[in-house]
Amino acid sequence: MESGTQSKIFRRSILDGVSFTLFVFVVLSVILRPTDEDLLNLSSLSYIFFGAMLAGAVLSHVLNNAGYKTFGENLFEPAYVKARAEARPWYNTFWGWHLFATILVLFIVGIFKTKFSMYELLDEDGFEGAKRLFKGIFSPNWDVLPTAVLNIVETVFMAFMATFLAIPFAFILSFTAAKNIMKHPAAYAFYMFIRTILNVTRSIEALVWAIIFSVWVGIGPFAGMLALMIHSVASLTKQYSEMVETVYEGPIEGVQSCGASKLQTIWFAIVPQVILPYISFTVYRWDINVRMATIIGLVGGGGIGTMLIKYQGQAMWAEVGTIIVVIAAVVWIMDQASAYIREALK
Amino acid sequence: MTEPILSIKNLEKTYPNGVQALKNLSFDIKKGEFLVIIGLSGSGKSTLLRCLNRLHDPTGGEIHFHEQDVAQLSSTAEIRNLRKKIGMIFQHFNLIPRHTVLSNVLMGKLAYTSTWKSIFGLFSEEDKAEAMKYLKLVGIAEKAHIRADQLSGGQQQRVAIARALTQNPEVLLADEPVASLDPATCHTVMDYLKKVNQELGITIVCNLHFLSLVRLYATRVIALKGGELVYEGDPKNIDQAWFEKIYGEGSKEVHIN
Repeated sequence: MESGTQSKIFRRSILDGVSFTLFVFVVLSVILRPTDEDLLNLSSLSYIFFGAMLAGAVLSHVLNNAGYKTFGENLFEPAYVKARAEARPWYNTFWGWHLFATILVLFIVGIFKTKFSMYELLDEDGFEGAKRLFKGIFSPNWDVLPTAVLNIVETVFMAFMATFLAIPFAFILSFTAAKNIMKHPAAYAFYMFIRTILNVTRSIEALVWAIIFSVWVGIGPFAGMLALMIHSVASLTKQYSEMVETVYEGPIEGVQSCGASKLQTIWFAIVPQVILPYISFTVYRWDINVRMATIIGLVGGGGIGTMLIKYQGQAMWAEVGTIIVVIAAVVWIMDQASAYIREALK
Repeated sequence: MTEPILSIKNLEKTYPNGVQALKNLSFDIKKGEFLVIIGLSGSGKSTLLRCLNRLHDPTGGEIHFHEQDVAQLSSTAEIRNLRKKIGMIFQHFNLIPRHTVLSNVLMGKLAYTSTWKSIFGLFSEEDKAEAMKYLKLVGIAEKAHIRADQLSGGQQQRVAIARALTQNPEVLLADEPVASLDPATCHTVMDYLKKVNQELGITIVCNLHFLSLVRLYATRVIALKGGELVYEGDPKNIDQAWFEKIYGEGSKEVHIN
C-alpha cells in the first residue's frame, strides 16, 4: 500500500509539473518574446524547465491538500478512491478545468509549432503540384511491374526471415522476462535487467536499427532483415512474456507436486498454455514486419522500399503509382491472411 | 497403524501479507491411515497440505518424515526428492489440458527422469507400462490417448490420482478432491481413494467439506479452526456440539449421498 501511495504522488507530481511547466513557458514566451538565439540556449531553458517542474509539483501538492483535486491526482489516485468519488460534471471540478486548459494550450502551441497554415493548404501552385502527382499515381506505368513484384518478394522474405530468426530468441527470453517465473531475488534482478534492455531496444525504431545495420553490413535487404529481427525479438519477447504472466497456476502446482524441476515446470505446465497465443503473435508480427520492411527500404534496407525511394527521388510518379499498388495489394493480402490464421488459432 | 509416518510439531505459516494461516499446529499422521482434515474455508486446511510437500514454505515448526525435518529443506533437489514420496491431488485436478491422459499420468515420473529426456518425451517403456497400470486401477485406461480436457471432472480427478500414484508415493495429499464434482461422481472418486488406501497401503491426508463423507471414509479426523487444531479423533464421535464448535454456532449439517 505504502509504495502505491508513493508512486501515485510521484506520477501526479510529474504530470501536474509538466502541465504547469507548459503554462510557464507559454506565459514567458508571450511576455519576453524570446529570439531564436534565446530558444537555443538549452542550459538556461533547462533551469526554467526543472524549476517550473518543481514549482508545479509543489503547487499540485498544495492544491490537493487544500481540497482542489488536480488532473494528476484525479488520474493517478487509487481505484478505491475513484470508486468513492461522487459523479460531478467536469465543468464543476478543478481537475476538469485543469485538463481543459492544458489541452487548449497544447492545441494553440501546436498550431504555431507545426506552422499550421490554411493558406499553404489551399495555395494554387502547391495544389497543382499535388494534382500532377496524383495523376501520375493513378495512371501507373505497368512496365515496372515485374521489377516491383520481384522487389516485394524480397520484402516479404525479409519480413519472414526477421520473424523466423526472432522466434528462438524471443521464446527463451520471454520466460526470463515474466514476473511470475523470476520470483527469486537473484532472478528478479535478471528480470529487471532483461526488461530494461528490451524496453530500450523497443524504443529505438526499426528505422534507426536499419540505418545502423546498413552501415554495419552494407545497404541492402540483409541490413533491413537484421533491423526487423532486433525489433521483432524485443516486441515478441514482451508479448510472449505477458502471456506467460497470465497462465493458470493450477497446472504449475500439479506438475510441481510431482517433483518437477524448474525447466520441467516451464515446459509441461506453462508452454502448453502459451503456445497458441505465441503462434498467433508470431503470425501477426510477420504481417507487421512486411509493412515495416517497405518503410525500412526507404533508408537502404532493400526490397520494395528502396525501389520506391529511387523513383520518388526522380519524381517519376507513374512508376511510384505501380509500386504503391503492389505494396497495397501485398499488405492487404498479408493482413487478411494473418487475421484468418489468428482467428483459426483461437 | 500406530507408527507415525509424518509428525508435525508447532507448525506455523504466516503469509507475506501478514495473514497467519497456521498457528502452532502439532499432530501425527499415522502410517496407512485415511486422515481427513475438516474446517471452514480459510481455516488453513489447504495451507497445511501445501506445507507438507513444500509447495508452501512453513515459517516455523517442524515436519518429521523419515527422520528428517522436511520443513528445513532448502535445496530444490531435496524438495524434489520429498515430493517424489508425497503425491498430491487438487480440487481443480490441475492436469495439463492440452496433453493426453497418458502424458499427464507420466508427469508422475518427472522427478525420476532427467530434464532433457522428459522434455523430448523420452519416458521409458517401464514408466509407460506403470502409468497404464495405474490408469487401469482407476478404471480409465481406455481414455489414455484422449486429451485431458475432453474428460469429465470425475474422470479428470481419477487421472490426477493415477498421476500421483505413478510417483510411487508413500503419502497422498488430497486437497478437497471432490469439491467441484457432483454428488454421484463424488463417491466414485472417494471410493478410488479408499481403494488406494486399502489395496496399496498409501497413507491418505484429505481435506473435505462434507461430514457425511468424512464419516464414510475417514479412519481418523482432525479439525482446524483459524489455523489451530480444535478436534482430533474418531469421525463417529463428532456430534452436534463438536460440529458447532468447528463450524460456528447455529451451523447445520448438509447431507449428500
